[in-house]
Amino acid sequence: MKKKGFKQRMTRESLTAYGFLLPNLIGLTVFIFVPMVYAFYVSLHDWNALSPKVFIGFDNYFRLAEDKAWWKSVYRTFIFTIIYVPALYGLSLFFAVAISSLRGKVEGFARTMFLLPYAITSVISAVIWMFLYNPRNGVINQFLELVGLPGQKFLGSTDEALISIIVVILWINLGYNMMIFLAAIKEIPNDYYEAARIDGAKGWQSFLHITFPLIRETSIFILIVTTIGSFQVFDQIMVMTKGGPANSTEVSVLYIYQQAFEFLDMGYASALAVVLFLIIFSLSLVQLKIYSKQD
Amino acid sequence: MKKPNLLLVTMIFIIGILMIAPIYFLVISSFKQPQDVFSTSVNLSTLTLDNFKAVFETNILHAIWNSFIVSTVVTVVALLFHSMSGYALARLNFPWKKQIFAWMISTLMIPFTIIMIPLYMVTKTLGMSNSYAGLIIPMIFNAYGIFLFRQFYREFPKELEEAAYMEGLSIAGTFFRLVLPLSKSIIVPLTIGFFTFNWNNYLWPLIITQDEDLMVVQVALANIVGGGYETPWSIVLAAALLGAIPTFLLFFFMQKHLVEGIKMTGIK
Repeated sequence: MKKKGFKQRMTRESLTAYGFLLPNLIGLTVFIFVPMVYAFYVSLHDWNALSPKVFIGFDNYFRLAEDKAWWKSVYRTFIFTIIYVPALYGLSLFFAVAISSLRGKVEGFARTMFLLPYAITSVISAVIWMFLYNPRNGVINQFLELVGLPGQKFLGSTDEALISIIVVILWINLGYNMMIFLAAIKEIPNDYYEAARIDGAKGWQSFLHITFPLIRETSIFILIVTTIGSFQVFDQIMVMTKGGPANSTEVSVLYIYQQAFEFLDMGYASALAVVLFLIIFSLSLVQLKIYSKQD
Repeated sequence: MKKPNLLLVTMIFIIGILMIAPIYFLVISSFKQPQDVFSTSVNLSTLTLDNFKAVFETNILHAIWNSFIVSTVVTVVALLFHSMSGYALARLNFPWKKQIFAWMISTLMIPFTIIMIPLYMVTKTLGMSNSYAGLIIPMIFNAYGIFLFRQFYREFPKELEEAAYMEGLSIAGTFFRLVLPLSKSIIVPLTIGFFTFNWNNYLWPLIITQDEDLMVVQVALANIVGGGYETPWSIVLAAALLGAIPTFLLFFFMQKHLVEGIKMTGIK
């Protein structure tokens, strides 16, 4: 190519490139980047979304520091995460390993059974399970009665509501995460297992020394994504309990949502959102640190 | 790998049956008479389509239509924009390339629920609240698709594009007429992903629309069960089943691609 032609192409190439990037540059700026900065700006104001904003400095942050209901919602979100993340991780890894030992049509069928709930949306899953959990004559209580166990209140009980919701979210996401593990496990060359068997490794040992270390990246990915996700849990809770009974399922995002869109306390809700972001962000940093240390 | 043992296989299938049991109850109960809806036994002669007829008399059908429009438009436009950006970042040379890519990827770290309040304000300021535009436009932009398209185009054979360029096609011409039609293996899983995500979306439509006319199916369903009245379960389940059909169809006809998509997003 001639020099002149090359230079011409360079500018044409740059122009085309910017043309190709422009919609996303504008869109990501307007709908993600600006809101992010704006969230912090609004958090320094007293604002009910209707009257003009009043600058109050860090007052919203002082207020949230003393807001017991907020910290209780953070605590509930932690409890949710501490139960949900290990349960999802453990179960999806367990069933991935179990299903990876199957072959052919049997394997395909087993995978489909686990993955099917993933085709259901969050609101519909909430609807189905509200039906199953019905305390008076729901299917689960009928089953419990059949095996001689007492009926439960599920979503109507302060002790059982959160765990009942965790079950629904586990049910939805188990198959998807299992598939990610399964894909990673399938990438491991069979020779490794054969060599281990010759060395006398039993099933559990070959899992511990081969499978587990070799799917480390997938593990990190799943742990971080599910932790971030569980700190944002909203849909099922909003539909099934709206935070009740007696606030027992009021997680942080729900609390923020109520402050913003029910009490129209936009400045305060924004301050809460900023704090939640810092919590999520530091948690994923900690997770990354822990895992990269194991090298 | 060792042979599957019988105990393990049995356990997988018992749990597997428990996994699909709720879906079975969704389907079967939506055909039952209201008084039988909680019954676990099935009497074929009493099954009815009345629940679905009742659903058609509510605004659910319109909500399903809204969901369909929103999900389809977001998917098509997002695929177009994301593929263009992904291609530019993978193949073209231009100043600030690295910085732009890093900046785009950094937006992935901002969870939606953190920006939902200011996003609502921005969208409202742009005059898009309570409109299809408000439901659709903010959902088009995320760096996820851009990132995956970029990965895909980095491994795309270069020879074809060089040949097209020699033939006198412009860069844009090469992309739209040659490269994009050959990108099916990434477009299909992303179509499933984007469509499902938007069909699922509940929080954003809940925030940005108040008009009954703009209600999407997730919001409409949530409203029926949260109405504060005794829930008419047979009708609610029929409505839920209708709302589940699009994602179910995607699942059954595209299971292979769905799995591909899961692999693609899970292992980087």
